[in-house]
Amino acid sequence: MLIDITKCIGCRSCQVACKSWNGLDNETTSFTNDITNPPQMSAKTYTVVNFIETRLHDKPIWRFIKRMCMHCTDPACASACFAKAITKRESGAVVYDKTTCVGCRYCMLACPWWIPKYEWDSVFPAVKKCRFCIDLLEHGKEPACATACPSAIKFGDREEMLALAKKRIAKNPDKYVQHIYGEHEAGGTNVLYLSDVPFTSLGLPAVSSEPLPKLTWDALAKVPYLAGGVGLTMTAMYLFTHRKNAVAEAQREKIIDKAGE
Amino acid sequence: MTNHWIDYKNSDVILVIGANPAENHPMSMKWIHRAQEERGAKLIVVDPRYSRTCASADIVGHIRPGTDIAFINGLMNYAIENKKYHYEYLLNYTNASYLVRDDYAYLDGEFTGLQKINGKEVYDRSTWKYQTDSDGKPLKDLTLEHPRSVFQLLKKHVERYDIDTVCQVTGCSRDIYETIARTYCSTGLPGKAGNIIYAMGVTQHTVGSQNVRALAILQLLLGNMGIAGGGVNAQRGECNVQGSTDMAMLFHLVPGYMGVPRDHLHPTLADYNMKETPSSGYWSNKPKFFVSLLKAFYGDNATAANDFGYDYFPKSDNKDHSHQSIIADIDKEIIKGVILWGQNPVVGGPNTNFTINAFKKLDWMVAVDLFETESASFWKAPGVNPQEVDTEVFLLPAASVYEKEGSVTNSGRWIQWRYQAIEPIGECKSDLWLVDRLFNEIRELYAAEGGAYPDPILKMNWNYGGSFEKKPDVKKVALEINGYDVATGKGITTFGALKDDGSTACGCWIYAGYFADPEDPACKRRELEAPGGLGLHSKYAYAWPINRRILYNRCSADPQGKPWDASRALFSYELGQWKNLDVPDFNATLAPEASGANPFIMTAEGVGRLFSDSVGDGPFPEHFEPVESPVKNIFNKRDHNPIANIWRDDFSRLIEKGDPNFPIIATTMRVCEHYQSGVMTRNLPSLVELMPEMFVEISHELAEDYNIKPGDMVYISSPRGQIRVKAMITSRIKPLTIMGGKHHFISLPWHWGYSGLSIGESANKLVPNVGDANTSIPESKAFMCNIRKA
Repeated sequence: MLIDITKCIGCRSCQVACKSWNGLDNETTSFTNDITNPPQMSAKTYTVVNFIETRLHDKPIWRFIKRMCMHCTDPACASACFAKAITKRESGAVVYDKTTCVGCRYCMLACPWWIPKYEWDSVFPAVKKCRFCIDLLEHGKEPACATACPSAIKFGDREEMLALAKKRIAKNPDKYVQHIYGEHEAGGTNVLYLSDVPFTSLGLPAVSSEPLPKLTWDALAKVPYLAGGVGLTMTAMYLFTHRKNAVAEAQREKIIDKAGE
Repeated sequence: MTNHWIDYKNSDVILVIGANPAENHPMSMKWIHRAQEERGAKLIVVDPRYSRTCASADIVGHIRPGTDIAFINGLMNYAIENKKYHYEYLLNYTNASYLVRDDYAYLDGEFTGLQKINGKEVYDRSTWKYQTDSDGKPLKDLTLEHPRSVFQLLKKHVERYDIDTVCQVTGCSRDIYETIARTYCSTGLPGKAGNIIYAMGVTQHTVGSQNVRALAILQLLLGNMGIAGGGVNAQRGECNVQGSTDMAMLFHLVPGYMGVPRDHLHPTLADYNMKETPSSGYWSNKPKFFVSLLKAFYGDNATAANDFGYDYFPKSDNKDHSHQSIIADIDKEIIKGVILWGQNPVVGGPNTNFTINAFKKLDWMVAVDLFETESASFWKAPGVNPQEVDTEVFLLPAASVYEKEGSVTNSGRWIQWRYQAIEPIGECKSDLWLVDRLFNEIRELYAAEGGAYPDPILKMNWNYGGSFEKKPDVKKVALEINGYDVATGKGITTFGALKDDGSTACGCWIYAGYFADPEDPACKRRELEAPGGLGLHSKYAYAWPINRRILYNRCSADPQGKPWDASRALFSYELGQWKNLDVPDFNATLAPEASGANPFIMTAEGVGRLFSDSVGDGPFPEHFEPVESPVKNIFNKRDHNPIANIWRDDFSRLIEKGDPNFPIIATTMRVCEHYQSGVMTRNLPSLVELMPEMFVEISHELAEDYNIKPGDMVYISSPRGQIRVKAMITSRIKPLTIMGGKHHFISLPWHWGYSGLSIGESANKLVPNVGDANTSIPESKAFMCNIRKA
């Protein structure tokens, strides 16, 4: 998948199509100053378009970046998963299977983009993330977001997408940043980005070009028994911050109600 | 649109002004991006704020709301001063060379003929005419140098719009304006194509019609009309707004853009035909279209002996019956009942507090919609005591698009059939079922009980086979709109077949051919081929008129028939014959010089009009300040449009210039995630998730001056009302520098109301009851207000 930031119009058809095809519940959201909503990816939201006000040639500009699972060619999450609940498929999709998951949430730690999310509120929680609409791919169709996108997303073979990206850069060398994000990051990803502003200003971290499993597996393989402990700590942290947020929200609403009177 | 959506890909420069396609017409961006990528086209966006469309732009120009004419007249002046106009086009295809009467003049904000009638200023347009020879033919000067030539008058009219003055008034920075002028006027070169896209940001002003005129004149100057990649392209606000205007969803028209018969002007059919039919141009066929319309309405009851039922046909009086007048008439209790069919004035119209108060005086209201709208529930609006409202409200549940079939007509005039996917849920019914039942029940009542004048109802030709249990046959309706031969009942394929003797019937002459064969109608075609690579797609759907994709297309070639640009040729004349890619908008059986003398077949003079008497507030566009504006008009002594429609009543108090209580300029806008008054979208969880709450966009500078933080509640007020909304603080809005003074400016989405899944205050509560001089469209894109932290 090639996402050309210079062609994204921020319409968020991709977000709606994703929820619709994957049967994901809508979140109860509230006003956000930057329009991004839901504010981040979650177990109910596999893809989010971030709205970013930045500058280009010393002029204020606005850019929209669709964030989602990068579908690494050599995924760290899959190699971190000793239960083999996350696997990379032939199509390039990195897919999670709840039935074999033990809930260690190691995948969440392994991912350099913090993509896998956990169903914290569920009794029988699962890890949730973009599946590249594997069911559609296996029927020769494109992921729902790519089908819905009016402008920015192209979907096809990785080599084809890289060639298209290079062609676009070559045609407009002054416009694009001379870099295809995902060509080498983490050993290469199946989601590629083109941009006219530095990727870091869009919130995409600089990631080593070394395939991450190589780095992580040696270390992580030795400590699988720790995983349960890490998971428990994360749950505790979640519950604590969740309650804190709820209290803060309640207080804020009270203040607003008072102001309204 | 004169062109169509896919044609955007053929443009060299695209000027978007008063429109926000990325948010309101997202699919169009596909074609704009294609022009940028494949042709290296430049996208210019002119908007008070930095919209999502601006994110795709090569050049962004920010202007003060309500200064479009200053901006566009400045471009005309730039084109003329720097000789960037398309000379050959101007000379042959426009009225640039025509001489205007000696007694016509423009002076300091007024054109000749301004007079007061019943306390209201109006224009007598009798001097806005050409000088003529003894045969009544217009006099011309082909050198374009005669001081009374249209070209010289236009040149003189716009020479006051120099770059400095324009930038002072609009607030646009000088270097940006120069870049825009240079870039856009480069399309004046023969063979180049410039495309102007506009929407409500241009029309919702007291000078809305003149804004559009200015765009059209600029396009004529640069030779951009009638060519692939050019045109004046109105992006309509709904998928079928074009269709509803074609079918005369306007008080002053009947279907096919014919004037509504008026009781004082047209007591008989002969009066109507005589006064409404020009002696030349294609409109000289109007009696054929009008009689065929009467025949469609009254069938066998329309005969030559009874003027084809002309007396049955409703007549209008001389008054304005546009949206704002209707609400005012409800308030005055002249109108006792309303049917709101997919309309939500309590959110969508100006001055919504007044609208709610007016509705309380109704005896009855019928609301047809997908959800209970704010208008249908006006009796339980905040602050309204239901016990004090006597209005009886009937809410009829309507079927959604997927639950009914019929045609829609898009902005590019493509008529496309939409199929029914599922049966309506619950008791929902299609609009056709509802209107068919309503009419038949009323007819039965008239038949049983009589009435003052039952004939227009009883003699109506209305046999679509519907009953309470049975759906009316939508194909029968479609065939009637298409037109048919009365003797055989067969559909006609072109309006050229229409007659004024009652032998043909046609519900909307411009639609002739879209449904000629009900079993295989042209509007159901879905072939994807596009010969010539211009995206005309002539076998996909059906474009009115007669499947013509680009209007005025004779102008795409020079007078000898050679296309201005061979790579974008719609027509070329070779070896004594026309080679056609599109349906000719001219007589292709004649030699090119003959059709080249008459490329705008719908005007009486056959050429495009730089100077025109067709718009009521002046033959040339002139800048006037919005009715509510922070600064004086420096172009002329008249502050705002002298003949703007202004309701000066208690219910619509206006803000005087310089009122320190209301120092902030406001405009309204739409966001991608919501649609119109939000009736559909504010009830859809997936869209509410994306855009959950009403807000106001304000600049960092305003936030600092008023001590407002992101997400703070703020009050925004005007004499019409006050709303309480959340503040969105952004660098996408900047204070404007107007004639040296700093002016704050805010932007409000107008989608919200008090019912539905996502509720919020309505921006239209603040909007005054002032309207365009010609159309009365409210000036919701430029008004004054105040803001304070809640």
